[in-house]
Amino acid sequence: MKRNTIVIGVTLLILATFAWAGWANWMYRKQAAEHALASASHAELIPSAPGDVPSGGASLTGKPAPDFTLEDLSGNKVSLSSYKGKPLLINFWATWCGPCKIETPWLVELQNEYGPKGLQIIGISTEGDDLKAGDKEGWAHDKAAIAKFVKQEHMQYPVLINGDSLATAYGGLDAMPTSVYVDKEGKVVAMQLGISSKDDMEAHIRKAMGEGQ
Amino acid sequence: MIAQKYISRIIVGSLIAVGSAAAFNQQDSLTNSPRQSVLKSQAVEYLYPEQVSVAAGKPTPVTLHFRIQQNLHINSHTPRAEYLIPTVFSIPDSSGVKLANATYPAGTDFTLPADPDQKLSVYTGDFTIQAKLVSNPGNHLVEAKLRYQACDQTQCLPPKTITVPIDVIGK
Repeated sequence: MKRNTIVIGVTLLILATFAWAGWANWMYRKQAAEHALASASHAELIPSAPGDVPSGGASLTGKPAPDFTLEDLSGNKVSLSSYKGKPLLINFWATWCGPCKIETPWLVELQNEYGPKGLQIIGISTEGDDLKAGDKEGWAHDKAAIAKFVKQEHMQYPVLINGDSLATAYGGLDAMPTSVYVDKEGKVVAMQLGISSKDDMEAHIRKAMGEGQ
Repeated sequence: MIAQKYISRIIVGSLIAVGSAAAFNQQDSLTNSPRQSVLKSQAVEYLYPEQVSVAAGKPTPVTLHFRIQQNLHINSHTPRAEYLIPTVFSIPDSSGVKLANATYPAGTDFTLPADPDQKLSVYTGDFTIQAKLVSNPGNHLVEAKLRYQACDQTQCLPPKTITVPIDVIGK
C-alpha cells in the first residue's frame, strides 16, 4: 500500500512536469508573438552602409573585359569588340532600380562631356527576370519599359538588353547599378557596385582614359 | 503485482512524453533563432502563422508576419513612383482558399543619400499584412506568394517572389 502511494505520487509529479512544460512552451510562443507585433508597430529605419547587398561576384579589375554580343532596342547586334581601342563605361542598370534612376542623368552629362574626347558609355539593361528566349510577351514588356526609361532620361548613348546573360562573366551582377570602367587596351580599371557620386564616376572615367593616374 | 507493472508502464510512458516535449521545445527555440544563412540570400522572410483555423466560407482576417533583412528596405504596397515595384501578397487559384482582400501597412518615408530630395515609401524591419481569407471546408496547404523588390542605400536586388506556406483549416 505504501509502495503504491509512492508510485502514484511519482506519476503525478511527472504528469505535473509535463503540464508545466506545455504551459512554458505556450508562454514562450505568446511572448515571441507579442515581441514581433511590437516590432511591427514601431518600425524604424535602420541606417545602412554601402555594400550591404551581397555583391556575390569577384571583381574584374585588372582583367580584360569579357566580350559579349547583345541586342539593342531595335534588334541590332552590338559587340564589345566593336568598341576596341576606346575607353568605356559599361553601366548595368534596371528599370525598377531607384539608384540607377538617380545616376542616369550623371551618365548623360558625362557622355556629353567626355564623348568628344573618346569615351563611350554603354548602358546594359539587366532586369533580373531571366526571360527565356521564346518568351515574346515577357521580352515585349521588358522592351517597352526600357524604351520608356531611355526616352524619359534622354539616354543618348547605346542601350543594350539582356544583361542577365552576362551575369557569370561580369562577376554575378547580383545588384544594380554596377559600373565597369575599361581602358583603351580593353582592361578593366575599376568596378563600382552601387551608386556613389558623379565625382567618383568622373574619376574612374579619367582613369579609363589614361588621365590623372 | 499486476497493478505495480501497470503503474511502471505509466511512469515509463510519461518519461518518454516529457523527453519528447523537451526535445520539441529545443527544436522550437532553434527555428526561432536568427537564420543567418537564409537572411544572407533572402531579403524577406515569412515568420508566422504556419497554421490558421477559420470558419469555412466566411471571410476571416489573418495577420501575416514578415521580416526584412537588416539594412535593406522594400517598396511599400504603394510606392511613390510608377517605375518602382510594389509589395504584393497573393494566393494562387485552386488553393481551396481565396484572398478576399489584403490590407498593407503604410510605408515609411525614406531617402537615399544620393538623392535626399526624393522621398520613397518603404518597409523595413518587421511588417505585417492583414489578409482576409475565405476557405473551403477542410485542410488546405496554401502556397501564398509575396512579391517584393529590395534595396539598400546604394544598390538594388532584382524583384523576387517568395512562397508563404500557410496551413489553412476551414471548419
